[in-house]
Amino acid sequence: MGKAFDITLVGEFLPQLVQYLGVTLQILAVSTVFGIVIGIAAAIPRLFRIPILSQLVVVYVSFIRGTPILIQLFLIFYGVPALFLLFDIDLTRMDPLYFVMITYSLSNGAVFSEIFRGAIQAIDYGQTEAAYSVGMSDSQTFFRIIIPQAIGIAFPNMANCIISSLKDTSLAFTIGVMDMVGRGETLIASTAHALEVYISLSIIYYIVVLVLEKLFRLFEKRVNRYKPDVVSSA
Amino acid sequence: MIYLQGIKKSFRNQEVLKGINLTIEKGKVVTILGPSGSGKSTLLRCINFLEKPDEGVVQIGDVRVVAEKANKKDIMALRKQSAMVFQHYNLFAHKTVLENVMEGLIVAKKMKKAEARQRSEQVLERVGLSDKLNYFPSQLSGGQQQRVGIARALALNPEVILFDEPTSALDPELVGEVLAVIKDIAKEGITMLIVTHEMQFAREVSDQVLFMDGGVIVEKGSPMEIFTNPREERTRKFLKRISGGLPVHWIQKTAY
Amino acid sequence: MTIDIPFMWTAFKEIIKALPVTMMLTLIPLFVGFFIGIVVALIRVYKVKGLLAIANGYVSFLRGTPIIMHVMLIYFGFPLLIDAVAAKLGISVQTQLIPISTFVLTALSLSAGAYLSEVIRSGILSIPKGQVEAAYSVGMNTFQTMVRIILPQALAQSIPNFTNIFVGFLHTSSIAFLVSQKELTGAANIVASTNLKFLEAYIAAGIIYWLVTILVEGLSSLVEKRATSYMRGGVR
Ligand SMILES: Nc1ncnc2c1ncn2[C@@H]1O[C@H](COP(=O)(O)OP(=O)(O)OP(=O)(O)O)[C@@H](O)[C@H]1O
Ligand SMILES: [Mg+2]
Repeated sequence: MGKAFDITLVGEFLPQLVQYLGVTLQILAVSTVFGIVIGIAAAIPRLFRIPILSQLVVVYVSFIRGTPILIQLFLIFYGVPALFLLFDIDLTRMDPLYFVMITYSLSNGAVFSEIFRGAIQAIDYGQTEAAYSVGMSDSQTFFRIIIPQAIGIAFPNMANCIISSLKDTSLAFTIGVMDMVGRGETLIASTAHALEVYISLSIIYYIVVLVLEKLFRLFEKRVNRYKPDVVSSA
Repeated sequence: MIYLQGIKKSFRNQEVLKGINLTIEKGKVVTILGPSGSGKSTLLRCINFLEKPDEGVVQIGDVRVVAEKANKKDIMALRKQSAMVFQHYNLFAHKTVLENVMEGLIVAKKMKKAEARQRSEQVLERVGLSDKLNYFPSQLSGGQQQRVGIARALALNPEVILFDEPTSALDPELVGEVLAVIKDIAKEGITMLIVTHEMQFAREVSDQVLFMDGGVIVEKGSPMEIFTNPREERTRKFLKRISGGLPVHWIQKTAY
Repeated sequence: MTIDIPFMWTAFKEIIKALPVTMMLTLIPLFVGFFIGIVVALIRVYKVKGLLAIANGYVSFLRGTPIIMHVMLIYFGFPLLIDAVAAKLGISVQTQLIPISTFVLTALSLSAGAYLSEVIRSGILSIPKGQVEAAYSVGMNTFQTMVRIILPQALAQSIPNFTNIFVGFLHTSSIAFLVSQKELTGAANIVASTNLKFLEAYIAAGIIYWLVTILVEGLSSLVEKRATSYMRGGVR
């Protein structure tokens, strides 16, 4: 195991690792945006009880929630190229970053779809009736009355999901992505100071999580300003 | 004018409305009394198709909808003829008091924003809430919320306003302020159909009183007739119970 | 490349042998973490002077960093710490003889403690004040009120959250393979690379995790029905 512990190395490693924070945030941003798109698409069949599609969504959500992200990562990493090979397309040289983005988008999509569905179902049916009573159509009711309130309910859960997916990105290095942890691994290989590298990485993750939490809380206050108290329980 | 013909409605195997016929002239205030579960709410909700009747005809103003043939467009048209005040207010939780009232004007009536705002402010002044325009419903008392509910309905200037027990979720000391507002607008000549358990109020405000039981209209008449001299035994029993066991002559004494 | 279905079955049978290791890496941390969680939650609920800042910092840091970091920090940090202490005391400890699983279990227990303390704390806070007042009114002291009235309700109500944490840690235990533990993912990795059939091996592993998850969720909803029967009105 490594050389003698040297705390000053943390100061040396931090700036080198932070340069790769961009990659981590890029994975997070892409997988959040695509996750929202997938989440909406997957929530629709269940909300409107579309046969077959809704059963497919149930299986998709159950599988994602039933397996570790690490396994999902490997399945996409080995599975997607195998799938494309059937059509004579060779993806073996594709940047693993894309596989990570696909995995986390699919993973977030499943979680988001459950969050969206739950949020919409949580809205009191009286809101819909009131909207009908003033003469709104179905779509006006959905977009003007239900969705704005559902966003308020969904947001704190989405924020939690995004933060845990940030932490999950720390596993992307296992398929060879050069993000912060990937860079950390190369530092360990060249310096043999593993503990100092992991301390530095932990510090960066912690700070990013704290900043995200702060931002989300501010935003949540705005979204839910109509509620009597806006303190979230998280 | 409201015209109902042969309205029937069942939930599962239970027939809740057994063929309701009713005509209400324009500008009249009609209250519906009756024991719990007699179908009062269901009748009200069938009029704006929050519940779709199984059979029958609903006509409000010049929009006439036959239940069996009703499509989305008909239902929308019918709903635009009416407005509703709910027992639990059902204010749009994410919108301010002013926005709650403006919402229907902008979306359903396609009114210009400035005009909608002006009209909403007027109506809110009418119900005594000019100082609460930018509050959210969660920041108001029950009585204030229900007055917003009334303003939201009133602003639409509908053919008829349907009230479903507008005061029964309120603390006793808040009932008065809401009833006062309803009485005030009743003078205006808007057609109103009110389900209520407030006998004193029903007597003062109504042109006509309906007594419902078991999915039918058992009896209808002027408040004087219903409260002082009900023809049907069921009506008499109900009134006796609701007046807290006081003898009927007590009601007679307090009637006009 | 096509998928070799018969091999998937072979892989399944081989990988599932590692299920006990995965269960151990899941259950032990949750068990230890539960006690850490109760203590930390109580410190935070009662705002115990001196300990509150430590408890808050512990929960915030562990929930704010990836669990793999905890594993790595303990894995690389603990031996150094033990060596340093041993050197001070003048005894010799052969840290390389400590099984790696000890470090993994320590790290996962600490993480579980942080997550569980949040669940327990919000469970406690969700119990209406009236319950405390009622307990005081029949003469209970603070400790009795907590143990007899608040905690039972708080824990029963938190069962869905406990299930989420259970499933979360079942899945999290997969990272132990990164420090060469032969649990489900580790076993899948071995099967995959010795036969060069990666996809089949990971599909098989995925199915095992999936089945266990469904089982756990099913059991939990049964338990929840029993434990929260007091909340349903009417006849049991
Ligand atoms: N959506 C529904 N599904 C099933 N049954 C219903 C539904 N709505 C009403 N009912 C039943 O129809 C009957 C009449 O209900 P309704 O709400 O119209 O009574 P009500 O006269 O308004 O009573 P209350 O004074 O208690 O409000 C009741 O027996 C009720 O259980
Ligand atoms: Mg009713």
